[in-house]
Amino acid sequence: MSASGSVPAPRSDPAPGSEPAPPVRAPLRLDTEKLFAARLHAVRARPYLATALFAMHVVESRWVPTMAVDRYWRCYVSPGFVDRTPVEELASVWVHEVSHLLRDHARRGDLAMRTLDLDGPADRLRVNLAADCEINDDAFGDGLVRPADAIYPDTLGLVEGQLMEDYLRQFTIDTKYQRLVWLECGSGADGLEREWEFGPDGAHGLADHERDLVRFRVARGILGRPGHAPAGWRRWAEEALHPPQPWRQLLSAAIRSTVAAAGAGADYDYGRPARRSSGLPGVVLPSLRHRPPRVTVVVDTSGSVSDTELGTALLETAAILHAVGGRRDLVSVVSCDAAAQSVQQAAAAGGLALVGGGGTDLRTGFAAALKRRPAPDVVVVLTDGQTPWPSAPPPCRTVVGLFPRDRVVDEEDPDYVPDDPPSWAKVVTLG
Amino acid sequence: MPQSPSASPSAPRPIPSRSPQLATAESLLGLLREFSTEPRQDLQTEALTLAVAADLPVLLWGEPGVGKTAALTQLATELDLPLTTVIASVHEPSDFSGLPVIGDNPAAQGVPLAPPDWAVRLVRQGRGLLFLDELSTAPPAVQAALLRLVLERRIGSLQLPPGVRIVAAANPRASAADGWELSPPLANRFVHLDWVHDAQVVVRGLGGVWPRAELPRLDPERLPAAVEFARRAVCGLLTVRPELTHRLPSAETRRGKAWPSPRSWEMTVRLLAFGSAAGSSREVLSLLVRGTVGDGPGLELLATVDRMDLPAPEDLLADPAAAVLPERGDLRQAVLDGVVAAVRSRPTRERWDSAWTLMARALESCPPDVLVVPVTTLASLRQEAWEVPELIHRFAGALAVVRRAERSTAGVPTGAGRR
Repeated sequence: MSASGSVPAPRSDPAPGSEPAPPVRAPLRLDTEKLFAARLHAVRARPYLATALFAMHVVESRWVPTMAVDRYWRCYVSPGFVDRTPVEELASVWVHEVSHLLRDHARRGDLAMRTLDLDGPADRLRVNLAADCEINDDAFGDGLVRPADAIYPDTLGLVEGQLMEDYLRQFTIDTKYQRLVWLECGSGADGLEREWEFGPDGAHGLADHERDLVRFRVARGILGRPGHAPAGWRRWAEEALHPPQPWRQLLSAAIRSTVAAAGAGADYDYGRPARRSSGLPGVVLPSLRHRPPRVTVVVDTSGSVSDTELGTALLETAAILHAVGGRRDLVSVVSCDAAAQSVQQAAAAGGLALVGGGGTDLRTGFAAALKRRPAPDVVVVLTDGQTPWPSAPPPCRTVVGLFPRDRVVDEEDPDYVPDDPPSWAKVVTLG
Repeated sequence: MPQSPSASPSAPRPIPSRSPQLATAESLLGLLREFSTEPRQDLQTEALTLAVAADLPVLLWGEPGVGKTAALTQLATELDLPLTTVIASVHEPSDFSGLPVIGDNPAAQGVPLAPPDWAVRLVRQGRGLLFLDELSTAPPAVQAALLRLVLERRIGSLQLPPGVRIVAAANPRASAADGWELSPPLANRFVHLDWVHDAQVVVRGLGGVWPRAELPRLDPERLPAAVEFARRAVCGLLTVRPELTHRLPSAETRRGKAWPSPRSWEMTVRLLAFGSAAGSSREVLSLLVRGTVGDGPGLELLATVDRMDLPAPEDLLADPAAAVLPERGDLRQAVLDGVVAAVRSRPTRERWDSAWTLMARALESCPPDVLVVPVTTLASLRQEAWEVPELIHRFAGALAVVRRAERSTAGVPTGAGRR
């Protein structure tokens, strides 16, 4: 809906700042007209952020150099900053601050500080800078000006399009960034509570579940109208609704549960009487049977999979199999590109040699794995998925570790689309 | 301590007189065991208590050693229910499905399935809190047997009486010793709660004061309204989003956790009704609802409930002077949009005027930019004969904001530079 001049109001154009303070609101000494005109500008440029922009509560503060947010969605505004900044730039700052809140930088900042073992105000500033880079690399343009003195990845000599956590690892605080120190976005950006903030018990804060709901509404709005939001926001919305998990844990869980499932691993079985049976005549007890699973790992060695990817994935798989009690003599590895190349026992001396490099047809790899006697209980496939898949499920459990790829277009056959991994396999996206 | 050497190994030895050191040690142990409790606002405990009161099986997900067992002991004391702890991973399937005992003539009499002693005790008591610990490290056959226990409340030939409440605990997949995952049918039967320790609670507890789980006080007068509220919320959501009625988890990340199905929605109705009758906070409801139908559908339901909380447009139009509008800008805009939509659906002079009164009231206590969309839409609904209301001059400030935003928007190119 547009507000273009259809209000039948008598003309009256008060000078900026002379608007009489309404009785209920505490008198703000800041130029609210300018501030809210900027918010309206931001809402028009980014309609999908309207819910979040309006959910913020404005607090006038002389402690903040510019604008800052806390974890509870209060927005602290310096009257002086509003006074000296043009409206269109203020609109960009609004979007910047709300992005900190939507992207949950406070919690992620805490987490990053812990994982990277960082401490102290200098590191908090780094978190703030990294968070700014994550936002600014795709927040502006298309109706929003690019503020000149904001931080961009190239200010720090970094490649854009990454996450705060990635940026954080790539630079250290240096005196040459001294002039950036004024940039202070509050605890909503880096997780460090400031003394001028109202804290969790102050007025007009949003509780945890309210923040989740606002994020959820914004994410739904972005995904509900595809094409309106830039890719960065769409990616954020996807992840806000379906948070990603570290692939190592997922792969590990998938392999563990497959290996431990019935048919292999440890389970109860009535096939043989339990040892306890002799003491309890007349009672039929199952016995715990343990059969270590036979696992075949099919590795896609075609040219499209990089050595680094294969190396990490294979090491990870070996470690998981070892952890679930897989004996090395029960694990075999098949290298496969357009045809199955070689089958090796993991126990063989001299380590594994992966051979291949051409196109991919994993069907031969599956066939080679299943031809082995005794047959494997589990097949683990490491591939980028650019391959035809077997049409029928193999007679054993399957875990697919998938390297993510953009869809490639085959020049000779532009209609060719590689099949998605079949539904009978447990699929984990790696890296 | 030297005892009488004459005591023969076969005769029972007389109980030795206690050594003074051991007695001192025991009184020290006694002192250490002493603790008091205090009522404490704790979301996860409140959620757990509410779900147990609603007689739904709860599954606590938590790293080993975060005090799940301690919390259960507290809860049992508070509810005055005898606690039976069964460590699922050290039991055999027959302990849950019943031991087949072969009699004289199995062909004629059949093979009965004898229940274990703890089940017999539970049934005899008629009430109790059954705690199934270490659910995630039990082998698959044990889980299959447990499914029947949780699903049908049967152990062998015994039927658990209605007074028995079931709580289970599991380690998250990442830290489980062997990565077993909950099968979808079993997962769908539980209310899933993440159990994390609160450093403050632990410090207070080690200092001798543990929090006390208080039973929710259900207000008898609110029961019919609570049921009506819960049904309206869930049915309201499922009417507009029927695809949420049943959705099996497909992503690897969501396996073994809560997912929406008619069964879990029914559990949600019950939880909402209990939470509403007990006056529980939205945070507690959020934990419970998301733990029953999963995060996405749970959040959608909470969003619906949030909208239900907002004042109804017709009520506001009927008495604009007494209107109480929500504080938060986004909610306020949603309410006013609703009011404008109501006027649009049945436009009369009175309704239009009373909507303007509402807008003027809203303007007194919120930033003007929030009002721009509802006010302009309301203005566009004007019909020929209607005079512009007197109070319109109050919107001059808001109009200035709009004009300024328009000027500023016009100065920035769109389209170009878009990623």
